[in-house]
Amino acid sequence: MTAMAGLGIAVAFKPGRASAAASEIVVCNWGGAALEAFQKAYGAPFKAKSGIEVVIDGTGPATGAIRAMVDSKNVTWDATDGGMTDAVVLGKGGYVEPIDYSIVDKSLVGEGLAAEFGICNYTYSNVLAYDAKKVGATAPSSWNDFFDLEKFPGKRTMCKWIQGQLEAVLLADGVKPEEIYPLDVDRAFKKLEPLLPNLIFWDSGAQSQQLFRDGEVVMGNIWHTRANLLRKENPDYTWTWNQNLMFASAWSVPKGNPAGKKVFDFINSSMDPEGQVTLLRLMGNGPSNPKALALMTDEDKAVYSLAPENAKTGLAVSAQYYADNEAELQNKFLDFISR
Amino acid sequence: MTSFQRWAFCLTVPAALLTLCLYVLPILQVLALSFTEPTFGVGNYVALFQNAAIGRVVRTTVFVSAVTTVLTIVMSYAVAFALVHMRPATRRVALFMVMVPFWISVLVRAFAWVTILRRNGVLNSALVGSGAVSEPLELVYNQFGVIVGMVHYMMPFAIMLLYANLSEIDLRIIQAARSLGARPVTIFFRVWVPLSMPGLAIAGLFIVIFSLGFLVTPAILGAGRVLMVAEYISVQISSTLRWGVATALSTMLLLVVAILVALAMRSSALRAAFEGGRK
Repeated sequence: MTAMAGLGIAVAFKPGRASAAASEIVVCNWGGAALEAFQKAYGAPFKAKSGIEVVIDGTGPATGAIRAMVDSKNVTWDATDGGMTDAVVLGKGGYVEPIDYSIVDKSLVGEGLAAEFGICNYTYSNVLAYDAKKVGATAPSSWNDFFDLEKFPGKRTMCKWIQGQLEAVLLADGVKPEEIYPLDVDRAFKKLEPLLPNLIFWDSGAQSQQLFRDGEVVMGNIWHTRANLLRKENPDYTWTWNQNLMFASAWSVPKGNPAGKKVFDFINSSMDPEGQVTLLRLMGNGPSNPKALALMTDEDKAVYSLAPENAKTGLAVSAQYYADNEAELQNKFLDFISR
Repeated sequence: MTSFQRWAFCLTVPAALLTLCLYVLPILQVLALSFTEPTFGVGNYVALFQNAAIGRVVRTTVFVSAVTTVLTIVMSYAVAFALVHMRPATRRVALFMVMVPFWISVLVRAFAWVTILRRNGVLNSALVGSGAVSEPLELVYNQFGVIVGMVHYMMPFAIMLLYANLSEIDLRIIQAARSLGARPVTIFFRVWVPLSMPGLAIAGLFIVIFSLGFLVTPAILGAGRVLMVAEYISVQISSTLRWGVATALSTMLLLVVAILVALAMRSSALRAAFEGGRK
């Protein structure tokens, strides 16, 4: 029944063109510039080592899409690029394989980055980004400033997907970083409510960039990777690492993946520091392997969330907390912002 | 049945099979999921009525759809009415202009509206530049923007439906009314409008049904601030994995549309519209 039931929804997701032969690994990520970057950072080195082609499918591995594939027993992805939270949620639902740590070397990644159903492929942060030309002489330097409409008039942007949003609000409201979880949702909503008329909510990374380019917002809570792309376009757009909210992205392996155990060789290979630094240089996605730090120039470190200088005021977003609460919170948040 | 009719019937079989496998079956699966996910029973439907947030989503959807329908009908009627009265050469140009938006994807149109309506957009720049307003108006990322985008999307459909209806009205009836001394306003409200009821009914129904399921336009022009049913369902399917609630809500939406169609078919105007095709 579940297999049948999945079918209908699987059709709606258009699971992408890539269907895997045994001689390739299909990686699903979120498309755009990441298609080429993943190929250079992870695909090419693996092919050089093993002779196995890596195909990148940019369909976007939403948890719903993975579930639909697994339910319909029509899995075409070997490794998916999701959040650490997704890995826990999918693992709990039985939709992904446990990471085989007899093949993948756990010690390659930093502490807390290797979980049962997902291992961190890269890290990134939500940061306070701003338009230096619009904010005046003193730049905003903390989430407090995000709420200070007098000192920094103008619209702001936040993400309509919940992770990393209320943390910033609560930090601005004076909650200590170590007491952020469990999130005090009511307190956060109370703090956020007066700001709502000045908020535009982004739902894709590209949109968050566009809001800055169009001059619609003076500052925003956006991914540092996108802030980095913006800064490359125009140095007026920049960000502060202060109080950045650190995320771990993770590889997961959908249950019944076409390449079987071979995918874990790929995952292990993707932990090589060289490839990870390549990805950092191309997109700003930070290495999960601490050894990569030794290969970095100062310029690289300036866009790496886990560089000691940047990480010292950072807050690690709790994957476990969101695995337990995200669905509920996401719906509450959407309801709150659309009232 | 003659043998020709039998042949003609056989030719519809592949299409019917496709519809059955790719449309009816998945819909039944969705229906089944709404009763089995996460546990067996009617819990998802009970939850729909107890959840205040879903209530708000439904209210937003109904309100936006209603306003969209009324505005679309009024403006499309004016355009269709003008089309009927144009000289053929002018009408060809006008019809072409009505059709142009059909060739542009809904996504592109939504983004185009953002460009026009945003704070530093085309419209606000012109308004502020000319001194008409001192502060840019809030035209997008709210219900106003969503309704603008939806009305723009729906108007070509409504215009074509209304034009088809209006152009069938026998102009001799209008001449008769005029010759009997009716003034233009009277002719419009007592002759044109009653005779275009079938067109108005079918266009109205079409727009309501379409509006209730709008996804892309509200998502882009509402940017989180205007949450409608289709987007809510999409979030529950792809990110929160609450497939039970999502499928229950989809089923309700389907049911509402079915009821609307059934009710509408009871009205003589709509029956006339559908039967018009059979003459």
